[in-house]
Amino acid sequence: MVARVSPILRSWLAIALALIGGTAVAADPIRIAIIGPMGFIQGENQWRGAQLASDQINGKGGIQVGKEKRPIELIQVESNEMLSVSDATNAMERAITRNKADFVIGGFRSEAVLAMQDVAMDYEKIFLGVGAAHGELGTRVKDDYDRYKYWFRVAPTKSADLGKQIFAVLGTIAQELRSKLGHDKVRVAILAERAVWADPIVQAAQQNLPKLGMEVVGTWRPSAVATDVTAELSAINRANTDIIFTALSGPVGIVLGRQVGEMKLTAVPFGINVEAQKEGFWQATAGQANYISTLDTYAPVAITEETLPFIEAFEKRFGEAPAYTAATYDAIMLLRESIEATGTIDADELVAHMEKTTFRSAAGNLKFDEFHDPTWGPGFVTGLAVQWQDGKKVPFWPNGWQGVSYEGMQAFRFPERK
Amino acid sequence: MTVMRFVRRGLTFLRTEVFVLPSRIIVLLFALGLLALPLFTDDPYILRILIMTSLLATFAASWDFLAGYSGQVNFGHALFFGAAAYASALINVHAGLTPLVTIPLGALLAGALGALVGLLCLRLRGAYLSLTTLALPIILVSLFFAMPELTGGELGIRRVQRITNDRVINYYIAVVLMLAVCGILWKIGESKFGLILHALREDQVALRAAGINTTRYKILAFTISAVAAGLAGAVYGHFLRSVGPATLDVQLSFQAVIFGVVGGMVSIVGPVAAVFVLYPLTEYLADFEVFSAFRLLIFAVIVLLVLLFMPRGFVPWIRDRMETVCQRCKNRNTATRSSCRVCGTALR
Amino acid sequence: MLQDILITGLINSGVYALLAVGFSLIFGVARIVNITHTAFYMVAAYLVYVLGHLWGWPAWLAIVAAVIAVTILGLLSYRLVIEPVREHETAVLISTIALAAIFQELMIIGFGGHYLSIPSLIDGYSQLAGVRMTNQQLLTLVIVAVTLVGVWLLLAKTRLGLAIRATAEDREVANLMGMNVRHVALWTMGISVGLAAIAGVVVAPLFVVDPLMWLDPLITVLAIVVLGGLGSLKGSVIGALIIGYVETSTVFLLPAGSFLKSAVALSIMVLVLVVRPEGLFGIAFEEER
Repeated sequence: MVARVSPILRSWLAIALALIGGTAVAADPIRIAIIGPMGFIQGENQWRGAQLASDQINGKGGIQVGKEKRPIELIQVESNEMLSVSDATNAMERAITRNKADFVIGGFRSEAVLAMQDVAMDYEKIFLGVGAAHGELGTRVKDDYDRYKYWFRVAPTKSADLGKQIFAVLGTIAQELRSKLGHDKVRVAILAERAVWADPIVQAAQQNLPKLGMEVVGTWRPSAVATDVTAELSAINRANTDIIFTALSGPVGIVLGRQVGEMKLTAVPFGINVEAQKEGFWQATAGQANYISTLDTYAPVAITEETLPFIEAFEKRFGEAPAYTAATYDAIMLLRESIEATGTIDADELVAHMEKTTFRSAAGNLKFDEFHDPTWGPGFVTGLAVQWQDGKKVPFWPNGWQGVSYEGMQAFRFPERK
Repeated sequence: MTVMRFVRRGLTFLRTEVFVLPSRIIVLLFALGLLALPLFTDDPYILRILIMTSLLATFAASWDFLAGYSGQVNFGHALFFGAAAYASALINVHAGLTPLVTIPLGALLAGALGALVGLLCLRLRGAYLSLTTLALPIILVSLFFAMPELTGGELGIRRVQRITNDRVINYYIAVVLMLAVCGILWKIGESKFGLILHALREDQVALRAAGINTTRYKILAFTISAVAAGLAGAVYGHFLRSVGPATLDVQLSFQAVIFGVVGGMVSIVGPVAAVFVLYPLTEYLADFEVFSAFRLLIFAVIVLLVLLFMPRGFVPWIRDRMETVCQRCKNRNTATRSSCRVCGTALR
Repeated sequence: MLQDILITGLINSGVYALLAVGFSLIFGVARIVNITHTAFYMVAAYLVYVLGHLWGWPAWLAIVAAVIAVTILGLLSYRLVIEPVREHETAVLISTIALAAIFQELMIIGFGGHYLSIPSLIDGYSQLAGVRMTNQQLLTLVIVAVTLVGVWLLLAKTRLGLAIRATAEDREVANLMGMNVRHVALWTMGISVGLAAIAGVVVAPLFVVDPLMWLDPLITVLAIVVLGGLGSLKGSVIGALIIGYVETSTVFLLPAGSFLKSAVALSIMVLVLVVRPEGLFGIAFEEER
């Protein structure tokens, strides 16, 4: 049951329902707090994914905990993390002490999640991360296992693995480019926002690209909130660039999408572009975003048997495709599987179970490594790469990479324009 | 025997200085209430909110000392808060010194920075001073972003040690810090030093003509205010266990100004009251999902209303309802009195 | 490289000049530091989005309507919120901050935190001396130039302009000379907000529209106006050129440091102020009443 009302009202409701409903409703609900920037699309998706999972589960009576079935009660917690890290820690503590959450799922902005993680670990509550990719969230688990073991990252894969994924995809694109254009030397420009998360990716690119037979023509680091990159693009164009390698998470991703199209560049942008993962990207770039490509998590391809049903149910209910933060759905399903397998909601037992199992989620096969991060690679979670083509987000990778191919993949397109 | 004398002096003080005015009684009750709170509740969430409120109140009070008393309206006060927080965190993480040492170090560094800023702003007046001080924390943030290995860039510094993990002790640290710092600032304000600051605000030229070294006082005002803000910032960083660019944010600087003006400037009490009313209110609203989107909006509307109807701030407004000023000796009296408690003249 | 800097710098400076001149006008005449200035710019951008994109009005109509609506909003704000607290400088600063926060929150409530885009009025791009620019950018430059010339004509050649300049120079004497200072202030506020609205409307198709878009330009405009000297229009335009070019140069010469452009601009402002406390062209006024 979704409860977004004040505690007082909630208890009156519970009493009333108990009087009316009898034993069926008397079962103590399992309280799951979904914490995130609810005013933003990331938080919206977190809540929606959770609602979908919760309604599906409660529709069948709830989660089987030992002998009784207990329904899920979702608590929506606005973390305000985009604007204030201290608000986020307040919200986490509120969710645990006032709202009496048994489990917490969510978080998006890495610096806030790092702080929220500490609070959750203080109270030894299981905190499933759905949104922050920073590696330190995982290294803490390894360095101080007894304290941080209650944290598991469900999505996305940690930044280091995202890096591996990018180079795998880049290699594929470069290969296609070589055969299509007939020249061997692929010229790549690095355009990464000035942010700590992008630094290792930039460094790795500068080192690895030459080894992959590509030439780095230059590195540009605009601000994450830059409103204009025509200057950078003009210089990039003058260097006869073939691929613009992007590492962007802020609104500069939209500006890029729009201005590449308006300036009709022949260079094709690929990399991480978080804004480009959103449905609204096409509109946000005024329809200019053709050929922009980025890593992504969900697309209408059969990664596992869970993927297509999840995406269809999500689209049917909310009218939009899920973004990667909707993996709260997977997180709740994981919780259900673990609780039903161990017969308890005790945190320590659940932790032990989750460390051992491989869970079939909509994003891939989820197996946690020693950092409690999802294992990346063929057979596990590989992630996807998508490209915007004529107003639609089309998945094109993996398509035969290391033997991995999901049904529904399409071809990558290069800009045909002058 | 000296204990008895001390107690007697204390009681006399209370009788003659505190109990004579309702506003001072309220302040006393407020301080006692805060100190006694953990006896009635150990809800960690409430204690957390009050810790943040106390630190923010210390920060706002330090701003009032600078902007209200000395008239140098600083629009980048977060510079001192954040600089101390970063300094304390860096020393703690890299040199491993305990927070009990790094916090005062951070505050001292903030004080030095304050002196520097005071020096920079000596010749600036009014809006020019405000805008320059606004720019300084922004420049510092950009510098920090340029040195991510040292400062952690936009993620900030993590694994900052707590002074203690006991929530109640942390609470007392924050509350006692606030009461002590505000008490000291208020005392300075009431002293001869404070008198010069008042004069500095009103007419610098006349003050210089009277032979006072205005430069020294201006810089001192900055320094003292910076140390106070720095203490709040350093303790804040150690409580949250991480220090990021949010401690230097423009929003934080604006908050100091808003709390100061809405509560009532040149009073120390005003900003503290404003923080204790507004911050818990906005946190409380966050609990109701309906309001969480409107938090900042409600906050801004309240600010505007207070400015329109109580232009000197709400603490002076409330105080004027409870007390009157004697026409002859300018001392404050309870409004219900018929004659002044000091000089005996009839009160209207 | 040089051509890139010259041309891109000109475009950036132009938009800044529009904002700075408006800001400077209201300060010069009424001694009001209007923090809401760039928030009006934001509201205008959102209005163009709603009228032109969501409601499908023809582009020119959406633009004109947005400018007029925001100007009226500005005048209302002035009367209701700013004028009552005019006497206390700090109170004015705070109420304008609060007002800007209110506008920001209203935009968030109305449109969410999402980033929005408005299609360009003119598609395509042009090449000028090897520099590729979008046609929308060129259009922006033209509009900015026309507007600035218009403002200059207004101030130099009309009676209202004369009144504005006189009041800016010395409010007391202007009052004594029989000018209705309150009316002049109102007119100035209208022109000032109108300029901000034009900037918003012109910039909307170029940049991304989001509820926080008023913060960065605010800082830059403050830097420009302070650098040029509060109250000096010539100072504002020259300041806009300086800061605009400094920012653009930073982006080009230090590609790895392009995020530093605000800091560099602000540092220059601080340096100038330390040397010359009243800005480049500002008037070093003694204690004013």
